Amino acid sequence: MDIKACLLTTAWLLPLVGFAVEIFGGYWSHHAPGGRFRSRLAAYISVGCIGGGFLLSLTALVFGVTDFDLSLWDSPHHASASEAPATDALAQFAVADEAPAGHGGAEQAQPGDPDAHEHNHVSGRLYELATFGKIRFAIDYYIDSLTLVMFTMVTLIATCIHVFAIGYMDDERTDEHVDHQVHISDGSHLHRPGRFYQFFAYLSLFCFSMLGLVLAGNIFMVFVFWELVGICSYLLIGFYVERHSASTAANKAFIVNRVGDFGFIIGLMILITSFGTFNFTAYNDRGASDQPGLFEMVRDHDGAVHVDETDQGRVVKFHTPNGSDTSIPYWLLVTAGLGIFAGCVGKSAQFPLQTWLPDAMEGPTPVSALVHSATMVAAGVYLAGRFFPVFLPEVLLTIAYTGAITLFVAATIAVVATDIKRVLAYSTISQLGYMMLAIGLGGWAAGLFHLITHAFFKSLMFLASGSVIVGCHHEQEMTRMGGLRKKMPITAYTMLVGVIAICGLAIPWTWAVPKIASGWDIAFSGYHSKDAIVATALTYANLNPIHSLLFLAPLVTAGITAFYMFRLWFYTFAGEPRDQELYDHCHESPWVMTGPLLVLALFAAACAIGGEQGTLFQLLSQSETHVQDVAGSAINLPTHQDIAVFHGQAGIMALLVAGLGTLLAYLMYCRRTPDPSLIKRQFAATHEFLVEKWRFDELYDAMFVRPVHVVASWFSGFDHRVLDGILHWFARTGVTVSGWDRRFDEGVVDGIVNWVAEKTQEVGRSLQTVQTGRLRQYVMFIALGVVTLFVLIFALFPET
Amino acid sequence: MDTSLTNYLLIGAVMFVSGVVCMATKRNGIAVLMGVELVLNGANINFVAFSRHTSLGLDGQVVSLFVIVLAAAEAAVALAIALNFYNNYQTIDIDRGDKLQG
Amino acid sequence: MNDQALFWIFAILAGGGAIGVVILQDIVRMAFSLIISLGSTAGLFFLLDADFVAATQLLVYVGGTLVLLIFGVMLTASGPFRRIQMSSGETFVGAAVGLLFFSVIAFTVIDVEWEKLAASHRPVVDAATDETGSTSRAIGLRLVGIPADTEVGVHSNSGEKTGYLLPFEIVSVHLLVVLVGAAYLARAKRHETSEATGGDA
Repeated sequence: MDIKACLLTTAWLLPLVGFAVEIFGGYWSHHAPGGRFRSRLAAYISVGCIGGGFLLSLTALVFGVTDFDLSLWDSPHHASASEAPATDALAQFAVADEAPAGHGGAEQAQPGDPDAHEHNHVSGRLYELATFGKIRFAIDYYIDSLTLVMFTMVTLIATCIHVFAIGYMDDERTDEHVDHQVHISDGSHLHRPGRFYQFFAYLSLFCFSMLGLVLAGNIFMVFVFWELVGICSYLLIGFYVERHSASTAANKAFIVNRVGDFGFIIGLMILITSFGTFNFTAYNDRGASDQPGLFEMVRDHDGAVHVDETDQGRVVKFHTPNGSDTSIPYWLLVTAGLGIFAGCVGKSAQFPLQTWLPDAMEGPTPVSALVHSATMVAAGVYLAGRFFPVFLPEVLLTIAYTGAITLFVAATIAVVATDIKRVLAYSTISQLGYMMLAIGLGGWAAGLFHLITHAFFKSLMFLASGSVIVGCHHEQEMTRMGGLRKKMPITAYTMLVGVIAICGLAIPWTWAVPKIASGWDIAFSGYHSKDAIVATALTYANLNPIHSLLFLAPLVTAGITAFYMFRLWFYTFAGEPRDQELYDHCHESPWVMTGPLLVLALFAAACAIGGEQGTLFQLLSQSETHVQDVAGSAINLPTHQDIAVFHGQAGIMALLVAGLGTLLAYLMYCRRTPDPSLIKRQFAATHEFLVEKWRFDELYDAMFVRPVHVVASWFSGFDHRVLDGILHWFARTGVTVSGWDRRFDEGVVDGIVNWVAEKTQEVGRSLQTVQTGRLRQYVMFIALGVVTLFVLIFALFPET
Repeated sequence: MDTSLTNYLLIGAVMFVSGVVCMATKRNGIAVLMGVELVLNGANINFVAFSRHTSLGLDGQVVSLFVIVLAAAEAAVALAIALNFYNNYQTIDIDRGDKLQG
Repeated sequence: MNDQALFWIFAILAGGGAIGVVILQDIVRMAFSLIISLGSTAGLFFLLDADFVAATQLLVYVGGTLVLLIFGVMLTASGPFRRIQMSSGETFVGAAVGLLFFSVIAFTVIDVEWEKLAASHRPVVDAATDETGSTSRAIGLRLVGIPADTEVGVHSNSGEKTGYLLPFEIVSVHLLVVLVGAAYLARAKRHETSEATGGDA
């Protein structure tokens, strides 16, 4: 088995082992140092597991770089040979014995080197679970550079967050934790034992699930782990389960996700019935065979889809695993793609299923950082990227529009939010919209590039906000904060790093020097990734002018993003303190919490050095699948050459807009010109609308929740009146019948017995009169008796 | 000499029946005892008649001797009982002795 | 012929006396009628060649038992008890029963052919009376246990011609018992006779 597969499998299973140990912490932590509730051992175990996972992933990444013959720098060969990647990138899906066509480059693997793979992915089967007829359920893996990068990113961020959580969840390390947001009936606050080890157990389980999702080699395994991360999210959001808001939020998250999963299942069903397999590609490592997977069936070597017009309508033709040619109706494949995407919509909180993510902020801040900004919500984007070859152009268009709507809506709501975590939550939704938009536009590498950079700076910002919250004694409203940068400098300036990263501000010196690629501008990571997306959008809009909205939306929203992010920073860390008491009591967080902040700040700043010519982007683009436009779909996907033309333009426009947004935020919230409160009054109706989150919650309540309540009340009434009525009727009938039975028993049966007894007594009494006691009568009877006997004998037995 | 056996038997029957009727109908206790004597005598006549006219021989006479003796004994006891009855009830009317009435 | 006439005389007397006992109401007259009846019975016995039995009858029955009865009559039948009336219904019933009973017995008696039983045997009693003119010796021997009309020394186990020694002894004891019993029964009471306690008697 390939070394990368071994490493990644181990990295994947380590947190599961950690979970299995930690979940029983209630039993063994008696013996741990500190005692049952005060022990940190569970945290150390989970940090150890995920840290080990990070090291293994890093090792696997190094191996991957050599094995996949990845070029870490954009060498001139690659830049000029623009045609070459187009054709031989498809060799990635070629069967093992086919020689790749000129997959050359400066770093070329020795031909015949047994360690070198001709293609850029490793896929194999770990364990076959079951076979039901044609359908095989297996645990398998698909490792390409995207997988390696995702693993590294997830484990690194998870490690930082685990360490942060040791400090953040410190107040759970007691056997009597007072929850100030839960009121018991007598008015006091809830006292409960601390749940420190449980938190880390859930975090470990989450890491296991997320890594399993990333590693998965078939769409069904993705679904299984999809649900698992949903469960972990539910458990973690509802960590403070006694709080009504938290438990409701957990329910909402799970149910809204489930709505998306409904579409996912439809997609799964269509895929399995039409294609007969769940696998992405043919296995080339463990369990190698030439059974093609979904990618190979839908797209051929050139990345084209075979569309045909038959008398049943448009169909897509493909080769089945047993070699025959069949087809699937075009719209059925579109539906399958939309179904899978529906799952992504739910998981990544896209419009219209975005309502759960802001409420998910009820969970502890480390959870928000890990699950709801960097990893779980990114799983939707990851799947959209992974499943890219199977998506037909209509599906991609839908993805793009969904992403566009989402990013705009969320950004506008974030402008008026006052809870620090809510702002970040809407910011997350908006950025996820960016990623979806990018993928929908065909900018595969750009979208995933943004996913990685976003993970770093968003988790950084969440952890910083967590540090603020803890430092301000669980205060989350920005309107009561202010001027905190003097008291919490590390938090403030790491947060600033994150804010600059997300806004995409930069010093674009390379514009002045034409020879050097724009990737060398001085900027934090978000600038490069957002730049890539905007460039793709501009190219797309030029190629398909009818969809120009798909460029305007991200451009405008970039400005809005800059505005609200700097608003957040100025509100919290700059200006004068609005609540003096809060300001006096706040303090910087301990090293266990600020350390991860610094690490993440470093990555947020530097992970995308070199932009599109840098390491990260090159790593990702090696896994990019070339897709050709489908004939008759009226959509032209931009290619790299097209993007290169519009790249500069897009960059200028994006930077201008971001700068405008920053300036406006500075003026409004630092200089108070114009005063935000005046503007709020001026646009009161709009403000109201935005504060109510575009009224989605009310809409869904009226559309879905109330009808369900009505139907439930019908059923409840039916159960009460009809079913209970039937039961009561049976009971009453039983009682009546038994009453009849009793009367029969008492009247008839007892009557018979009594009558017999009475008659016997009467006969006895009447015979009593024979015994007169008079001697004469007795003698008379004797005489009579003898006479009668004689007569009888003579009469009956006449003797001669 | 040879008066028929039947005649004697009839006489015995007459005495016997009279005795029974006497026992059955008389209210005087002593009258009942008289009835008993009549019955026994009727039986005695039968015995003796049979001993004379059949092969019973002297056995019949011996038996009637016994009957006589026993009748006497029984009469003695019965009389004692009757006298006791008279002492208790101040009357010899046996209809008064109906304490065993059911 | 003499036998016949004597028989009829004695028969009528015996039967009439018996019927008289039934019919008469006065207890003393009933006693008298009984004497006649029993006396005539003795006569009948004589006619049947049972001289010892007849004598015993006269001695024991008439002279003993009836005297006893008359004592009883005398002791109890004083005043209003001499004549106790019977209702006519009872009289009728008694008469009916009597007649019925008699007719049954008479029918039986007449129906049986006694000659068959009598013809096969010579009356043994003739042999006994021829010797001594009375049956007393024969009866006495029988009571002791030696049947006189058979060979001495031969005792058959068939039970036909055996002695009556055992019954004789039993009767003797019986008489003793009766004596004691009657004496006890008729003893003088220490307390007042008005207390009629049945158990004490």
